[in-house]
Amino acid sequence: MTELLAEPRPLAVVRHASLNALADLRATYTPTSWTVGWLGRMLAQVAFFTVVGHLIGSAEHTRYLVIGNSLMTCVIEVMMVVASTTWERRAGTLPLLVAAPAELGLVFVGRSLQWTISGSGTSLVSLLVLAPLFGVHWTVGQFLTVVPLVLLTAFSTYAFGLVLAAAVLGTTGLRNITSNAAYLVMMAVCGVQVPVSYWPGAVQLAAECLPLTHGLRAVRAVADAEPLGTVLSRALPAAVAGACWLALALAVFRLTAARARRTGSVVYS
Amino acid sequence: MPRTVLAAFRFQAALAWRTPDTLSVFVTAPLFTVVFLALSQFAGRTDLATHAVLAPCLMSLWAVALFLAGDLIGNERSWGTLEGLVATPVSFPLLVTARITTVTVLGLLTFAESWLVAAGLFGIVLDVAHPLVFGAGMLLSALAMAGTATSLSAVFVLTPSARTVQNTLSYPIYLLSGVMVPISFLPDWVQPLSRLVFLSWSGDLLRTSLDPAPTGNVLPELGAVALLGVAGYLLGAALTRRFVRRARELGNLSHT
Repeated sequence: MTELLAEPRPLAVVRHASLNALADLRATYTPTSWTVGWLGRMLAQVAFFTVVGHLIGSAEHTRYLVIGNSLMTCVIEVMMVVASTTWERRAGTLPLLVAAPAELGLVFVGRSLQWTISGSGTSLVSLLVLAPLFGVHWTVGQFLTVVPLVLLTAFSTYAFGLVLAAAVLGTTGLRNITSNAAYLVMMAVCGVQVPVSYWPGAVQLAAECLPLTHGLRAVRAVADAEPLGTVLSRALPAAVAGACWLALALAVFRLTAARARRTGSVVYS
Repeated sequence: MPRTVLAAFRFQAALAWRTPDTLSVFVTAPLFTVVFLALSQFAGRTDLATHAVLAPCLMSLWAVALFLAGDLIGNERSWGTLEGLVATPVSFPLLVTARITTVTVLGLLTFAESWLVAAGLFGIVLDVAHPLVFGAGMLLSALAMAGTATSLSAVFVLTPSARTVQNTLSYPIYLLSGVMVPISFLPDWVQPLSRLVFLSWSGDLLRTSLDPAPTGNVLPELGAVALLGVAGYLLGAALTRRFVRRARELGNLSHT
């Protein structure tokens, strides 16, 4: 009996939850609907913001915009973790997850990983296909270096999204507003459209806590053909920030589960 | 008819107030304004402030109407109230359009938000140089949006698979219709397509209304917005009537 109630191994929990995520991805998109529907929409978004560079008449800023907005697409998609986390509540499975011996936060770490895969794919296609149309050209080596940086940005921002997901788990009506507001704030302050240095000091400080800021610096360093050491030094803070947000997310989920057990406030739908 | 429209307005306004997703444009519009103004200010293009303030409003109009168009009939069906609505002796398409008009009119308030963001955060106070043109342009745009969304609503309900592309109809339309960057910056072959979207005329019209220079003759732009809006409504009304007639004949209103 004791063995039955023992807490499962953390990686096994994440792995099983991520299988659920993959099943969700297959149910959400067919290859055609992802390519024509989702990817087309996101590439249109990148183009929409990038042509502002033409409007302001700066080829340099146009290149800045296409890189920033291409990487932004993976951020937008991983922020869907806020909504998909609340789906468990709507499906009526949240009380069972709270009652299970597995740590609640670990379940949700794996539960929405599909967005990191899809989002990274979107960003990479945009950087590979759209960016050259706006003056950003990659060598094979540069693009191969960009791939792990996009993945790093997606996963570390996913960890940030998990914190927001844990925070709004009890108020599911706010899920879309929260994720939309969060990605727009990141779009404004993290160096996507204008350099971080444009903003007042307090805003810059907040931007430094967000993985996107550092992921973008690393990708821009690759585009500028900076040495690998420089690229790594810019990417490292993204990994550190992601790890910190992940730890915070697990802590908030622990608090959520403890409060739910204590007050019986987890509802079935 | 006025009583039906008024009742639809009151109902949808009450529903919107309790539906955070409908009101999300009031959160996103100020943030889009910050993004666009930061872009133009950083580039030293203060002359683009009108673009930066108007674009979030036009995007909000489209977003809020598209959201409701996708959900309106489906929600009534899931609540079990669709049969009652269709059985009442009022025009069902009129009811749909009146409800969508409610949210598009509410969506116009995002312009006030954007204006306040420009003034409060960036110190840019935009004068409405031609208030009559501005007022007419805003009102006609909201009505044209409702007309266009009525046809989208009918398409979504007649072909449920079209719902899967609902979310994809945002940025391609923003790009095509020049809500931020005028369509003259788009390739030549795209521009005729842009002119089929009423937002392209609305954007030009509203930017003109904020420009201190004389407006010239704006009747063609006003006429184009009105014409495209009416065309959208007529198409939507015909499709909605067809959906209701077919559902009545097959007796599957709750399941189609």
